Amino acid sequence: MKSTLIKIIFIIVAVATVGLLAYIFVSPEVDGASMHEATINNVRTMARLQSMEIYDEVPVKGSIGSRHLVGRLRVRGNVGFDIDKLNADLSADTVRLYLPAEVIDVYESTDPGSYIVFDTWNDALFGKSNFTTAEENSIKAKVKANWIKRLYANGTVARARAEATGNLQSMLSLTLGKPVVVSDSTPRGARYKEIIKPS
Amino acid sequence: MRIFVIMKHTLLILLMAVMGAAAGCSKQDPSTAFYTRLHSANKLVFASMSISKMATIDDLDFEDAKGIRQKTDALLSSLKIGKRKAAYSYDTYLRAYIDLSELTPDDVKIDDAAKTVTVTLPAVKTEFAGRDLGLREDHYRVTGLRSDINAQERAQIKERMNTHLKAEVEGDDTFRAVLTEQARNKARSYFENLLSDSGYVPVIKFRG
Repeated sequence: MKSTLIKIIFIIVAVATVGLLAYIFVSPEVDGASMHEATINNVRTMARLQSMEIYDEVPVKGSIGSRHLVGRLRVRGNVGFDIDKLNADLSADTVRLYLPAEVIDVYESTDPGSYIVFDTWNDALFGKSNFTTAEENSIKAKVKANWIKRLYANGTVARARAEATGNLQSMLSLTLGKPVVVSDSTPRGARYKEIIKPS
Repeated sequence: MRIFVIMKHTLLILLMAVMGAAAGCSKQDPSTAFYTRLHSANKLVFASMSISKMATIDDLDFEDAKGIRQKTDALLSSLKIGKRKAAYSYDTYLRAYIDLSELTPDDVKIDDAAKTVTVTLPAVKTEFAGRDLGLREDHYRVTGLRSDINAQERAQIKERMNTHLKAEVEGDDTFRAVLTEQARNKARSYFENLLSDSGYVPVIKFRG
């Protein structure tokens, strides 16, 4: 009876110890993240005409060696034109100028849940599936570059340039009180040939 | 009998072909599987502010822990072999602009007697433009038997940083006030330069 009781206590203590050790070594890490105060880095002034805003959800897929990552990213982009120094004679009776090169900004949206990692895995049976921050950043950089390429290929940049030509013409005509003609020498985009290389 | 078998097989093949075609029609084009929205804008952006946000990861000290769960977690973390410390940061962008679609012919007034041209610009508005896609790893040290900080955890931390930052910006007018002031100054100088050769003295005002 006594030996049975001792055995039972021993088994309970052993199971509790194994459970505790398993919790210590195997349990997920506790979120110990601390937030620091936001600080203003810098303030830039500019005169940028923004003619197109794009909201998009894109898949994030990348592989490094036998490791793979899959996620989803909400992108917020815009196509704009720096009009701070217009190359035109503003004193002429009819003002003529060319639309400058487009500036494409690509950001991650600040809406909740804009970046989610669904899965990371390794094809090797006991291989690590983790990606370093630098590796993940490089995957996202490729997603950004491909997204910009798509804007040129699907005519979004061309459409933004057409809108900007009209908007700039209206704004300047209204402000200067005289006819303004805005032309576009690169309707598909100033960087079209650089980005869409012929195959 | 043989003809009947051939007809049955032919019908089956045709049925499978039709089902395959129907599946192909209803199958979503991968390029549109994710939602895209384009919309025309007519904004003149005069200032952009970048705001840096940092978060650090470290084991919770027993003294700083609150509640039974946190105390338990802090105690058990102290038993783990190794350290787990990291610091991440990224930038978020706020921009100030005027909406040119709100500019009307009535907003430009010429006074021939005073030789002035008065332009009343729409009120300067501010909005979040977005945040960096990447994350800066300012410090990383994981030792012993501790697990690495993985992509899912970094995404969750970035989400918390985003929520925290937006609450800070909404709760402190300084961010938007500084940006708006810079934008107004730039807008004023831009339109003054634009109208400098008009023969009239430009007077730039803002609505609101």
